[in-house]
Amino acid sequence: MLLTLALPCRCVFQLFYSFFKSLVGKDVVVELKNDLRLGYLNIKLTDISVTDPEKYPHMLSVKNCFIRGSVVRYVQLPADEVDTQLLQDAARKEAMQQKQ
Amino acid sequence: MSDLEQQQPPQWPENGDQWSDGEDGTNMDCGLLQAMAEEDEEINVYNEETFGMDLDTHGTTEVPNNGLLQFGELPSPPPPPPPPTPPLDPKPPSRHSSPSPPRQRPQYFPRAPPGQRGRGRGQRGGLGRGQMFEDPAVVRIVQGRPSIKGLDSAIVDCGNAMYQNSFEDDYMAPSSRKSRRISGSILQDSAIVCVIDGRRGQHLTSNFLDLPYPVSSFRGRRGETRGSYPRRHFGQRVPAQMHSFTVPGSPINLRQPLTPRQHYNQTGGFMFPMNRPCPSTPQSLTPKMMQLRFGANSPRPSPFYSPSSNSVQHFRYPGPVTQLHPQHKRLLSQKQRLFQRKPEGWDPYCNLMTAKEKEWITRLQMIQLQSEHPYLEDYYYQEYYRRIEAKMAEEELGIRGKREPPKLTTPYIMKSDSYTPVVHIEGSLGQVAVSTCYSPRRAISAVNAVQAQCPLEEQKDIRQQRLEVLSKIEKLFIVLLEVEETERMKTTVLSEEEERRLMEKTQKKVEHIYSQLQHHDPLDSGGEFLPFLLVSKGKRLVARLLPFLKHDTALKILRIVTCNLPTLMSRDTEEALPVLYPSLRNVIGGLTFSQLIGLIKDLTFESLTTSESLTLACQNKFGLSLLYALLSQGEKLLSSGVPLEPSIGDFETWTDTIFQVAGQLSQCSLVEPLLLPSNLLTLFCRYLDKRTLHQLKSNMESATGFLALPS
Repeated sequence: MLLTLALPCRCVFQLFYSFFKSLVGKDVVVELKNDLRLGYLNIKLTDISVTDPEKYPHMLSVKNCFIRGSVVRYVQLPADEVDTQLLQDAARKEAMQQKQ
Repeated sequence: MSDLEQQQPPQWPENGDQWSDGEDGTNMDCGLLQAMAEEDEEINVYNEETFGMDLDTHGTTEVPNNGLLQFGELPSPPPPPPPPTPPLDPKPPSRHSSPSPPRQRPQYFPRAPPGQRGRGRGQRGGLGRGQMFEDPAVVRIVQGRPSIKGLDSAIVDCGNAMYQNSFEDDYMAPSSRKSRRISGSILQDSAIVCVIDGRRGQHLTSNFLDLPYPVSSFRGRRGETRGSYPRRHFGQRVPAQMHSFTVPGSPINLRQPLTPRQHYNQTGGFMFPMNRPCPSTPQSLTPKMMQLRFGANSPRPSPFYSPSSNSVQHFRYPGPVTQLHPQHKRLLSQKQRLFQRKPEGWDPYCNLMTAKEKEWITRLQMIQLQSEHPYLEDYYYQEYYRRIEAKMAEEELGIRGKREPPKLTTPYIMKSDSYTPVVHIEGSLGQVAVSTCYSPRRAISAVNAVQAQCPLEEQKDIRQQRLEVLSKIEKLFIVLLEVEETERMKTTVLSEEEERRLMEKTQKKVEHIYSQLQHHDPLDSGGEFLPFLLVSKGKRLVARLLPFLKHDTALKILRIVTCNLPTLMSRDTEEALPVLYPSLRNVIGGLTFSQLIGLIKDLTFESLTTSESLTLACQNKFGLSLLYALLSQGEKLLSSGVPLEPSIGDFETWTDTIFQVAGQLSQCSLVEPLLLPSNLLTLFCRYLDKRTLHQLKSNMESATGFLALPS
């Protein structure tokens, strides 16, 4: 998802990048709109694993994939790896910068 | 098919007897090859039906995997694979003679070495079986490790080191069970070389993901797949390198989860696009392309030759690649070590991308995050790992949790038991999406539980006031962030003048926030600070503001909290009160004995006057912890020997408070406090009788789960 965002729009997504950068190497679960849930280790979806392989056997052999952002329903983040207070502060700072 | 047989009868090498089954104890491999051959037959049938494959002028057809058949048990040259067409079979060759071994089929022809194959089907399969070992690439493989150099300099540039390592590993594999799969990196590099050529891109499909063969998912410059490997593998015009790649490990082996038949049945897609244009040959590569370095061995990614999307082309040539925070690097390396302990054979498709390649892609992404002001533009990441680093440093130094048994716990927000799966917002159409563990969004936070009990008009007023308070808190938060930023900058400032200027700036902002919190609404009789303290966000704001306040102003806030403790506890639905505890405890630590007694009076005689309110405090984490903190401070002051300068009646108040609190604590059930001071029991020992003391001690221990030892 990172590579699909062009640089001119970067200022809008600085917090987005910064936040997900801190999740590099962490386990997250991506739930797609077709109810397929994938677990992956970084945002580029390498080393994925399907949480329900019986329902989606065709994904067993897939280790790396690129997921278009519009098909993502949720990205479930590990609670221990997210500092919500810091995230709030970062969001406030970004809002401030955008106003300026 | 019979024509084909007539045109070019199979010619086997003279040492064909070495190809018989089982003589060398290679029954397993022979069976493997037989299975492969059967699969090839079905694939060819399908191709025929789909593409109407004709026999070429030489009476041969392209055999996708003929390369595999050439190289049976390859590690030990010369390889003695079983013949695809046993000369002993008396049956006439027939395409549809399915019971007979497929070896009679004429389409199992070795691939021509690079340069000899033409484009399209008609030119392919120029070699007959007899020429199998005449293929120079084949000969090289049979005899030993082929020499990469000179075949394709681009491939050499890209994957030389990786190839040699992987090839050596595969070659030295003693057992057939050892993964003989080709290192994906080399193939990927070759694929990139092909992609660069550009011509094959338009013919590629994206079906590679469905293939059971180990291919990389990396996409080329135009979103092309690098997974053309299997297609090229099956008879494409490929550099001779590809031949050698197939030698060590055939991707078609019994270990793969889906055989080509199964896959073909499953996907219904073609697997052998026979009409693809040939990949680039070494001669077709321009000098510029020859200099391209892609893949894991690339020194750094270049935007101009990036295989990724065009969006990266317009930024400057990358200088030093964005580095991860050192703490982040340490965590990742630890995790990598854990993953590396896994046995190699746990997943046949693991390590498709080498660590270098992954790092390369990560670097590409990190380039986009480069900035000259990391703390400004990458605030969350920088601050997050700085905090983790600071926390770990503190733990190493033993600052935290060493002196007093329980560590300070972070606020625990309990989920509401009254869970309403369907939420209806007033004035909205329909219902909000069902909130489950899979759909965590809930539009509940804006709805205050207390409002439900009031009349409608009053609810609207309360809601409006709450929104005003929240809006004001947000504005004050921005000022607070500036204060914290200025405080952080103080450490980098060298001159005193600059430091003084920053301090003045900070002080002004702090006073502004304090005054805004103090006088929210002159007409509001809610009191100072209280409207903000009733909101969880306001509590957090006050908690972060307290360290910047002077002692007098901080004491005022503490007094307001102790005076309104029952109200705060009862309306703390989100249990956000504990966020105030660390800051307030620091304020309590700076109290004099007189100030402490004043607070205790507020607490016991104004707020916790009844036994019910005291019971409520004992059953609230924050309330109990605040009580403990005040008593602990008193004991500390009394035992420190410092002149207390008490006012008249202070000691009596103190003693009365001890008895009152101790009596309550020993009777009612206690919750686990945020922090249990170690000098508390010492304090109680001085005033209480043994029975009450013993009862109190057991009550406290049952709440905390460990012994409350006196210091």
